[in-house]
Amino acid sequence: MSAVALEKISSRILHEVSLNVADGEAVAIQGPSGSGKSTLLKVVAGLVTHQGRVLFDDTAVHGWAPHRRRLGYLSQDLHLFPHLTVRQNVWLSLAFGFDHQGSRAERIEEALCLARAQHLHNRYPAQLSGGERQRAALARCLARRPGVLLLDEPFSSLDLGNRHTIWRDLNALRQPLQMTLLLVTHDETEAQVLADRTVWLQHGQIVSR
Amino acid sequence: MNWLGLLFALPLVLMALVIIGVVGALVSYLSPGDLQSALLSEETLFAVGMSLQTSLLSLALALLLAVPAAHCLARQAFPGKAMVETLLDLPMVTPPLVAGVGLLFLLGYQSPVGAALAAAGINLLFSPAGIVLAQTYVAASIIVRTARAAFASVDQDYARMAWTLGLSPGWAFLLVEIPMAARGLVTAAVLGWARALGEFGATLMVAGATRMYTETLPMAVYLNIASGETGLAVACALILLGLAFLLLLATRLVDRDTPKEVEYVGRGA
Repeated sequence: MSAVALEKISSRILHEVSLNVADGEAVAIQGPSGSGKSTLLKVVAGLVTHQGRVLFDDTAVHGWAPHRRRLGYLSQDLHLFPHLTVRQNVWLSLAFGFDHQGSRAERIEEALCLARAQHLHNRYPAQLSGGERQRAALARCLARRPGVLLLDEPFSSLDLGNRHTIWRDLNALRQPLQMTLLLVTHDETEAQVLADRTVWLQHGQIVSR
Repeated sequence: MNWLGLLFALPLVLMALVIIGVVGALVSYLSPGDLQSALLSEETLFAVGMSLQTSLLSLALALLLAVPAAHCLARQAFPGKAMVETLLDLPMVTPPLVAGVGLLFLLGYQSPVGAALAAAGINLLFSPAGIVLAQTYVAASIIVRTARAAFASVDQDYARMAWTLGLSPGWAFLLVEIPMAARGLVTAAVLGWARALGEFGATLMVAGATRMYTETLPMAVYLNIASGETGLAVACALILLGLAFLLLLATRLVDRDTPKEVEYVGRGA
């Protein structure tokens, strides 16, 4: 697990945003379109330039390249690599910085199993349905056992039935995998189901509601 | 087919007939026996070997230069980018002879670059190395343009996703961006190779036309036409035509295998 602290984050969209997320806590970030929700997650992932400090467990990581931050990032578009099968997609997430506890093959199996995607392992992303793609992408994220999981509306394109199933699975995984969760969503129900608390962003600033 | 379709088909038929006429005239110029002996002559075999060796080396060098440059142009924004892009396109539209004169002046002993190379014991002019230089110069430009389009067609968020999965930018480039742009890159390489194989004007200026030394296939056509050895010239021309046809066919096959639906940028659902 990792506690996440954002201190006075400013970018083109965000204005001095500070946020503390405790170890293992799940926080939903909500707000109108263009308020900076996705940008905030990208700041944590190291994908956008910004001012201010980002700390994981009191270690300043804002100068670190994205590949050095041990986190999982699931966006709306998922970005499964189309030239690789689901298993190869998961393998790629373990190709570098693998901690060698157990074999890679075991870790891949475990991740596919946790995301209920074992039966998809030989398929290419183009051969998957929407729900199956979410599971494949989730398996790829979980394989690295990220301390922090960033979810940027990844389930918004799913039908209600699939969404409920994946919410339930994700909630079941949070404790055993010891993940801190930051979730961007427009869906009030999703925030209530997955998050311990919600923060609101408006015009690039956190506001009370 | 309506009248407009018929009207537009006429130029198509005319163009096809002209091309068939040109190829047919070359093919029918020699009897099969003469063609065989011209194809197997020492000079023709030398020109084939020289063309293949120099063009493949030029292709490798051009890819080494052009692929990173194309990635940079596709991904980075920087001041003067339009100017740099135009500059890199220049060898593609410059008459090769002009490019050759430029290279000759740049590398001649009277220029600072040429003098420095000569001092270091490097002689590129009027040697097979000059052929490679001229071919690389023209091929790199085509490869940059085609590869740039290939990289631009791949959503950059795939690379960003790879970074969050622990891949450094270098590995993300090799394991994600290159494979996803592979079809376009193969097309770029084939077009670059075809350009290098057919290079004549710049090669003539930089490497000269020395029989059995800097004699590539286009140079062999030129030398043999000039000296009245039409049979050898035709044999070399037919080999060039055959190679060009095979390379064009290869690009067609690569394009045909490209899936038409844009799955790479599709959303989850």
